[in-house]
Amino acid sequence: MSRLQKTFRRRSPAGRAGRWVRRTLLALALLPAPVFGADTPPASTNWIFEATNQLGQWIWDTNTLDKQTCRFWKSFEIPRHARIAGAILRITVDNGYSLYLDGREIGRGSDWRTVTEYDVTRLLNPGRHSLAVEGFNDRLEAGLIFGFNIQLADQRVIEIVSDDSWLVVPGSLRGWTGRKTALPDWHHAIVFGAIHHHPWENWPFGLTTEPALLPITVHFWQAGWFQLSVLALLLLAIGGCVWLRTQLSLQARSQRLLQSERVRIARDIHDDLGAQLTQLVLLGEVAQREQPENSSVRTQFNQICTLARELSHGMDEVVWAVNARRDTLRDFASYVCKYAQVFLNPTPIRCRLDVEPELPATVFDLPLRRNLFLAVKEALNNAAKHSGAAELFLRIYRADRKLVVTVEDDGRGFDPAQSGGERNGMANMTQRMNEISGGCELFSRPGGGCRVVFTVPLDHQARRGWLNWFRRRPGADAATTQIQ
Amino acid sequence: MKQIISSPAGTAVRVFLVEDKPGVRDSWVKLINSLPGFACANTCASGEEALRLIPAANPDVVLMDIFLPRMSGIECTARLKLQLPKLQILILTAVEDDELVFMALEAGADGYLLKRTTPENLRGAMLDVLGGGAPMTSEIARRVVESFRRASRHLKPAMHLTTREEEVLILLSKGYSNKEIASQLSIGTETVGSHLKHIYEKMHVRSRAEAVARYMTSKA
Repeated sequence: MSRLQKTFRRRSPAGRAGRWVRRTLLALALLPAPVFGADTPPASTNWIFEATNQLGQWIWDTNTLDKQTCRFWKSFEIPRHARIAGAILRITVDNGYSLYLDGREIGRGSDWRTVTEYDVTRLLNPGRHSLAVEGFNDRLEAGLIFGFNIQLADQRVIEIVSDDSWLVVPGSLRGWTGRKTALPDWHHAIVFGAIHHHPWENWPFGLTTEPALLPITVHFWQAGWFQLSVLALLLLAIGGCVWLRTQLSLQARSQRLLQSERVRIARDIHDDLGAQLTQLVLLGEVAQREQPENSSVRTQFNQICTLARELSHGMDEVVWAVNARRDTLRDFASYVCKYAQVFLNPTPIRCRLDVEPELPATVFDLPLRRNLFLAVKEALNNAAKHSGAAELFLRIYRADRKLVVTVEDDGRGFDPAQSGGERNGMANMTQRMNEISGGCELFSRPGGGCRVVFTVPLDHQARRGWLNWFRRRPGADAATTQIQ
Repeated sequence: MKQIISSPAGTAVRVFLVEDKPGVRDSWVKLINSLPGFACANTCASGEEALRLIPAANPDVVLMDIFLPRMSGIECTARLKLQLPKLQILILTAVEDDELVFMALEAGADGYLLKRTTPENLRGAMLDVLGGGAPMTSEIARRVVESFRRASRHLKPAMHLTTREEEVLILLSKGYSNKEIASQLSIGTETVGSHLKHIYEKMHVRSRAEAVARYMTSKA
């Protein structure tokens, strides 16, 4: 198994100074002239004093081959609760290397003549760590030289240098750089000699300092759990959408069914009841004519005919209200106009119409047309009863995505503040318009006629369709089709 | 199913009724005959029969039910008008449906009546068409104006509405009666009627031209 060589010792400042002197002398004695040549600035040579002490020995595999890749591995431990004050690592390999700390690649080098210095202070914390070096030899001699100095906050120092405790990893084991323990078939590296041993007498002669390495910060959005939960949420959302979609299409289908049922009812009423009522009117008229003039039977027949006509007319209204084929804005306008003309015909009020030309055939939903129609009916009724007008204007037009219907008469008018809401049916009209989120305004003054303005938002429908899709059930909608 | 009814007076207006339900037909016959100056000359139960019988019978007015089995009253009207342009045809409808009424007018009908109408109205409407007038509601007037404006781009000038005709239609669509229109435009009431008659004719001609155009493009 691996043999860890760790040195723990307390250093005194005096001892350190003494070592500096020795190191300087040694370096001066060892370094030959070319290193201090014109092309090498003297300032950069300072490193060598420390390097001599801190770098280990040249090591390599038992055999040295050309084009050889050799993997070195070593583990070390930082005591618990220790705080790292500094951790400097120096390395070079003849000819090149990749360096790993705990499986993370922290550097590469291909110029073996210079030592590279890495500051890994921020990467270390208490516990077991592993160092791995993948060295590469081009030809002839090969060697790895390494020194790692970890200073703890409590003055302790951990030194790891290249020596025969390093293990050589054979073959092509995957994930070997991150391993915390060695395997039995890993063997020890062999030592060739200290720095400047033959054939590296003149090298290394330079030092490259890499910027301090920072721990790879894993942001929360890079974390697995986060990505998983986002994925889960996404799937949930997609599932929700699919569910909503199905619900909507189900609802649309029930709407279609309801629609077709409405059309069927309307057609039945029209075909059967309508035809029979018409027949009743005709029979009544014929029977009436067979009776002598001014007889009481004739009067009664006449009453039957009148009633049957009214019934038939009332039924037209029902058919119109439920007939889905006639639920457009255009049909609404034409129906209201017709109603107003027929309604005002027996009164002295002349009905004037002002309808926006080319009203679109967009769908104007049942509750809207029903409520608006009933409100207009109320306004017409008021005008007929109270206004004493000669003319009444019914205007229908669009403005600002709203449908505006005004009922304006030139009658005697009144003071809206004085008369109660009950009298002019204002409360009733306002309530009807509120039901369909529309508006109702009344303008009048004594002697100045009266104008009632109804407004209905035209995009109401689309909005309601999305917001209240869940509220609209076939049963609920069918209930609203009941005619008052 | 034919019924020949002798005319009570030689000068009576001869009415031809097309209606498929026997009970209703009988009532109509009695009702028409009870109107002073009118006589039901003949009846039939289908559009096909009407096309065969009417040219021979040559009545003054045809009352045409809109819903007939197989051939509709509208189609029957269009075919009759091709053969007899001077024939007066009134459409009878149970429910007021602008779409259907407009189609009937385009097919060449001279007016329409609700089936539940009073005998007095029926008589008035028939006298109107015979007198060269053409009753038109404000709703239909509005549709007519719109239809001519839409079609104006691809119409021959002869088929355009004249300014006066358009004025009449617009006043009508605003709810003015024929009499009010006459006084507004300082013309006679009969003139208003004849304007409307011309409008009906143009509508009919236009719809025929459009039908031909449709036929041609579908062939091409």
